[in-house]
Amino acid sequence: MKGTLTPCKLAFISLIYGLLLVSALFAGCTQSTTSAPATPVATTVPVTAAATPVAVATTAVPVTVAPTSTPAPTFTPSQSNLVVFTAASLTGASNTIGSSFTKAYPPTTVSFDLDGTQALKTQIENGAYADVLISASNTYTTALKNEGYLVNSSVKPLTTNYVIVILPASNPANIQSLADLAKPGVKIAMEDKTVPAGTATIAVLNNLANSTYGQSWKNATISNVVTYELSEPAVATKVALGEVDAGFVYQSTATAAASGTYQSITIPQKYNYLQTYTIGILQESTNKPQAAWFEQYMLSSAGQNILSEYGFTPVVSHYK
Amino acid sequence: MRPGGFRPKNYRRTLTYLAAGILISAVTLYLALPILALLIRITPDMFFATLHDPEVVSALWLSLFTTAITLTVVILVGTPFAYFHSRYSYPGKVIVDTLIDLPLVLPPAVAGVALLVLYGRVGILGRYFNMLGISIAFTTLAVIMAQIFVASPFYLRQAKSLFEQLDPAYEQTARTLGASSLRILTQVTLPMTATGLVSGAVMTFGRALGEFGATIMFAGNLPGVTQTMPLAVYVGMEGNINVGLTISILLVIISFGIMIAVRLIQKREAGRA
Amino acid sequence: MVKQLRDYTLDFALTVHSGEIMTLMGLNGSGKSTTLNIIAGLLQPDTATITLSGECLCRTDTGTDVPAEDRRIGYVLQNPAVFPRMTVRDNVAFGLRARHVPRPVISERIAYWMEQVHITDLAGVRAGNLSGGQKQRVALARALAIKPDLLMLDEPFTALDAESTQTVKDLTRRFVRKMQIPCIVVTHRLADSTDIGDRACVLCNGKKEWEGIPGEMPEMCTVCHCP
Repeated sequence: MKGTLTPCKLAFISLIYGLLLVSALFAGCTQSTTSAPATPVATTVPVTAAATPVAVATTAVPVTVAPTSTPAPTFTPSQSNLVVFTAASLTGASNTIGSSFTKAYPPTTVSFDLDGTQALKTQIENGAYADVLISASNTYTTALKNEGYLVNSSVKPLTTNYVIVILPASNPANIQSLADLAKPGVKIAMEDKTVPAGTATIAVLNNLANSTYGQSWKNATISNVVTYELSEPAVATKVALGEVDAGFVYQSTATAAASGTYQSITIPQKYNYLQTYTIGILQESTNKPQAAWFEQYMLSSAGQNILSEYGFTPVVSHYK
Repeated sequence: MRPGGFRPKNYRRTLTYLAAGILISAVTLYLALPILALLIRITPDMFFATLHDPEVVSALWLSLFTTAITLTVVILVGTPFAYFHSRYSYPGKVIVDTLIDLPLVLPPAVAGVALLVLYGRVGILGRYFNMLGISIAFTTLAVIMAQIFVASPFYLRQAKSLFEQLDPAYEQTARTLGASSLRILTQVTLPMTATGLVSGAVMTFGRALGEFGATIMFAGNLPGVTQTMPLAVYVGMEGNINVGLTISILLVIISFGIMIAVRLIQKREAGRA
Repeated sequence: MVKQLRDYTLDFALTVHSGEIMTLMGLNGSGKSTTLNIIAGLLQPDTATITLSGECLCRTDTGTDVPAEDRRIGYVLQNPAVFPRMTVRDNVAFGLRARHVPRPVISERIAYWMEQVHITDLAGVRAGNLSGGQKQRVALARALAIKPDLLMLDEPFTALDAESTQTVKDLTRRFVRKMQIPCIVVTHRLADSTDIGDRACVLCNGKKEWEGIPGEMPEMCTVCHCP
């Protein structure tokens, strides 16, 4: 009698082959990624915003990077493409940076992955590939350094940014000063606390409350927040559309915008939060020499000029 | 001693079973493994502890509340609409047909932008609402509107199709027996289409519960007001991983729960027949 | 009645007497079902005069049009359309409940009619579970329970086996005689027509080409001049 395939046998066979298939897929995948350090355990202390603010307010201790000129052409042209994970606030500058760099170091091209720094960090921790990281947050950069994702020696301050308040061009709520932000009925947009700009904003609010406007001003302002956006450009968009009365963004955003897009209210530097952007090369990068050129370029006067053009404040250091 | 699998006939049959087995396992594992991974990644203790986190609680409550309202509106308005749409022809019916399908292919973010541009404070219609003191963007209402926009096609298409495919003989017979339109709808049409309508409602619920792109664009992200579970997952995964994982698992549980409940109802319906 | 249909115009006149069964015959697509639908009020004619028991149901020249719900017509369509989710009892009672007949009257009437079609022992069964023949009988009882002035059956025997066909024929004949109402039966089989019909008429492409005693009816194709 011919052997019949009973349901039991079928299930057993399918299970075996299914597991084989799956493990094959897994094996294939893990081989292709470069050895990244073990992913952090879920119970790691989550990044909280509370830690840094007040102390850093006194960040009038900036660090100067003596601008270096573009290095002598001892590079070998390479047909590579650099993947640069970049904080979203550099969105406007990225095109110019990319094309200028390729002009200076042909034919190496650059592609930018622009996102909130918190998202970039999560992606890197979960295996995403990048050559260079431009981070908007010291905290996130330090975390990545500690976790071993960055070539620590390559991590340098790149540029800085202050926080500013922008208003729609028509200023619908007639906000004339920072005090007006606490007026009832005002709609404010700011970034979520997991976004570096959000941490910066919270620090600024604390500084302003402690120094000038008081706690009830701060509480009223915070209760006027109608949305915690997931990236800094999203806040700018909501303000530009006129859907909110005010938003907290980086100065670069206000400076780089076409004239007439926003009105703005500056926050005095002594109460402001100086967000330092760092640049660093990823351990996993397979284009380390090219990544180093890019970093050099960004730290050089060429790169720094582009950043200034887009409203970033250069890092100032005391050592020559 | 039978050579078994090496004779041509047996070989082919075994091959078929093999292929079937691989396909079935592959698909099942592809769908099941990510869910399992989610459950493994966080310890039960941490899960239950995080359940008390105010972010988790408010996101859960908000999601359930908004999807409940969305579902109610879609069913109450959508059922009679689908009924009339399927029974009568009217000028522009083709356009309406296309519009019903549109949110299915439109990227949710685009839907969000569209809603914002229309109903936002400076929006084309929104400015008039604003003058009356009604704000829509950045409110829970916006969450519901976004959900309705992206999720209603699932129910409308299903209902429309069910009504169209229902043999007109039933409603015609009911008419000749003297039944009013309302009686026909409630005693003839709906009972016969109920099972299909429920499955449409389930799909609508699922889509509404998972809505993200339109919500963040149109309603924003404010805990307790507009931060639904999908938004909270996203924020959580960038800040507090435990919150992200816990809410993800909650969403899985809710989805499974709903599907099992529906299967049970359908089984009971079929069993009673 | 006159009705412009897709391929031809339906144009003829018909008279049926009380207690008489008229079989309506013709090739497929000749307008038989359409005729019934127009009489029932489910379809609007272009021009027509329909009178039933002295009451004018439809008169296009004066604009009279009694809605389908109010015409006292018992109509069993080709799909008998028993409501599958309801019990047999609820099916038979449907028309009575729709017309808001008082409850005790309903109970009495459905008991009577279920008895008449021999379906009383299935009263509590969900109609969707019945066989074709049983469904046909339920549909018949349902149509007659409302005490109609006219009974119309569209191809009632096509889906039935020989035994059920005979049962339905017997029941129909009996009820029509007893209630003395006119009855129109659409069928395409000559045998059925001869069996059940008192008179017969043949429609070809919307025109009445022949009318008379079923037994004397010539070949369909002769009447209709089939191509």
